[in-house]
Amino acid sequence: MKLRTAFGAAAAVTAVALALSGCAQSSTAAKGGGAGDVKTVRVFISGDTNIQKLWTDDLGPAFEKANPGYKVQITLDLHGEHDAQTMAKLSASVAQKKDPGFDLVDGGFVPKASAANFLEPVDSSKISTLADIPADVVKAGGTGGIPYRGSSVLLAYDSKAVPAPPKTLDDLLAWIRANPGKFTYNSPKSGGSGGSFVATVLDKYVPADARQKMTVGYDKSLESTWDQGFATLHGLNPYVYQKGVYPNGNQQVLDLLASGQISMAPVWSDMFTTAVANGALPSTVKATQISGPSFTGGAAYLGVPAGSPSKDAAIKVADFVLQPAQQAMIVKGISGYPAISLDKLPQEVQGKFANADTNNLRKGYFDSMTKDLNNLWDQKVPGK
Amino acid sequence: MTAEVEARPAVVRLAGRAASGRSRGFLMALPPMVLIAMFIGFPVVLAFGFSLGFTGGLNRTVALIGQNVHAAHGLAPTFSAYAEMFTNARFLGDLFVTVVVTLISTVLVVLLALGVGLYLKFSGGLIGKVLSTLAVVPLFIPVVIASWAILGFYSANGFLRSVAAQFGLGFPVWSYTLVTVVIGSVWTSLPFATLLVTSGLQAVPQAMIDAARDAGASFWRVVVSVVVPMAGVPIIIATTFTAIGVLGSFTVPYFTGPNSPNMLGVDMSNYFSSFNQPQQAVVIAFVVFAMASGIAAVYVWANFRSAKESGAV
Repeated sequence: MKLRTAFGAAAAVTAVALALSGCAQSSTAAKGGGAGDVKTVRVFISGDTNIQKLWTDDLGPAFEKANPGYKVQITLDLHGEHDAQTMAKLSASVAQKKDPGFDLVDGGFVPKASAANFLEPVDSSKISTLADIPADVVKAGGTGGIPYRGSSVLLAYDSKAVPAPPKTLDDLLAWIRANPGKFTYNSPKSGGSGGSFVATVLDKYVPADARQKMTVGYDKSLESTWDQGFATLHGLNPYVYQKGVYPNGNQQVLDLLASGQISMAPVWSDMFTTAVANGALPSTVKATQISGPSFTGGAAYLGVPAGSPSKDAAIKVADFVLQPAQQAMIVKGISGYPAISLDKLPQEVQGKFANADTNNLRKGYFDSMTKDLNNLWDQKVPGK
Repeated sequence: MTAEVEARPAVVRLAGRAASGRSRGFLMALPPMVLIAMFIGFPVVLAFGFSLGFTGGLNRTVALIGQNVHAAHGLAPTFSAYAEMFTNARFLGDLFVTVVVTLISTVLVVLLALGVGLYLKFSGGLIGKVLSTLAVVPLFIPVVIASWAILGFYSANGFLRSVAAQFGLGFPVWSYTLVTVVIGSVWTSLPFATLLVTSGLQAVPQAMIDAARDAGASFWRVVVSVVVPMAGVPIIIATTFTAIGVLGSFTVPYFTGPNSPNMLGVDMSNYFSSFNQPQQAVVIAFVVFAMASGIAAVYVWANFRSAKESGAV
């Protein structure tokens, strides 16, 4: 009996401890700030393992090497699964004026956090390299967003099935109708490549001034300009893979392309390059950009939480990754686009982008507009 | 009982021990209760308040970040978030699909589990053992992996299509349809239901079956009038567990289902993250919660009945 009580108590205590620790994200972050004479910058990444690898293998060590006395610590939130919690943490840290637990954050929610004033405002007086980046890109990230890499969506096609790929959006739409079942894109809510295709079709009908407003801010009244585009997308249903199947996620589209079930699809430039390099996509699959309008691309933003105790060190890191040598690492490591203009990069890196205009990426919609776009697409396009 | 008659001081001592045992029992039950109250109960109350438009206090952040939030004015709750969802054609369609998929999957699971259990009870032997072992296998395969496998198996270039094509036949493509959602739901729910139903059927005394047989009952008569009613409680429990599990499933419909209409589990995730409408997500959650509570009531009733039968209540 005694023994059982003891076991019971031990089990209860373990359960509490497990439950408590289970609530926390796995993180090795130690106490930040100036521990001794080593300054630690805690970088929080909300994204995929390729971004984690970029920081742990390339950017982090390079910064530590160039700046003795600094230490870069990386925490990953895989696929941004805890973005809502991270935002809540940021908001709580601002409200209570306390350390949020990280000093530099890379994630899709940075523009939103910036709009809510959770981030330290930055400009080219604090980060001189910001001046090298197109003003529109910086503006879309809000006052606290620091664009540091980019990628765009391309049209991937199997050159065995499609010897002459479409060059314009109109050609592409005509090709889809002429080749039923051979094209699809992932639902915009599940990944950016499908989202870019949708945005591009919508943009065919959106006036330029309305589009500009929706790029840098949220205006629900302008959403009526999307109606024509959604009608076009809805009209494609019978011609899309399996008469209207839109897979969930960028990767599922690549899988369909690899197995030859479809011959053409919008894909992320970096995912495509990596998939061809590691053999996940056959070498007959090629990628091209269309025009009129082109597929959108976008920047990934860094942000410094307003509550961070080592803001200066974090800004130092942000400034560091915007320098040409580190921008070249992004190009080599994850096939990303540089944020600064190409002519500042080494010659061999410039050659990689012969077909892509990295400085003139057509921007996606503002974050909150994208959420509404996802919602409206879901209501208006599939399954009817 | 005997202690009461034989020695009165012992009664007092026993009562005292029972009381201390009770308080010790309460103390031991306290940590999980506190844990549930703090980490589940409290957030549920908060979320319910949020769905009724109370956007202040601890709900302030989520209301600030979310889009399309309906806020109550003052202390009177607003039902406009519920009204919005119940006039939304997509939500109503998804609600219908969720109910239908749950019903079909649950019926299939219970029938399959009964089939395996009855075979084991009446025929037994190697085939019975193999069947009951195979039915438990899905328990050891992660749902994500199983979902991908099911998606591939029924896809346009999947196994069944390939085999059918060898004979010049066209097998339908089931990937990204509700058919694969039902197949996946049955796959994930079958092991647990089989374990429960099989053990329930095994517990039916052989003497009862023999008695019925001696009285001239046919096999089906024995099954319908003796075996299934006697194992009624475990079968009902298996049914409720399966139904609640399928009702709230996410992985299977997310990976293998169509874009629209799909099940409410997927909707909740979409509304919360993809559409950034947390209030609407909470409304869907409470609708699912209400349905699950209805099923749970049956479970409680079945448990109560079985406790009554065994004389515990």
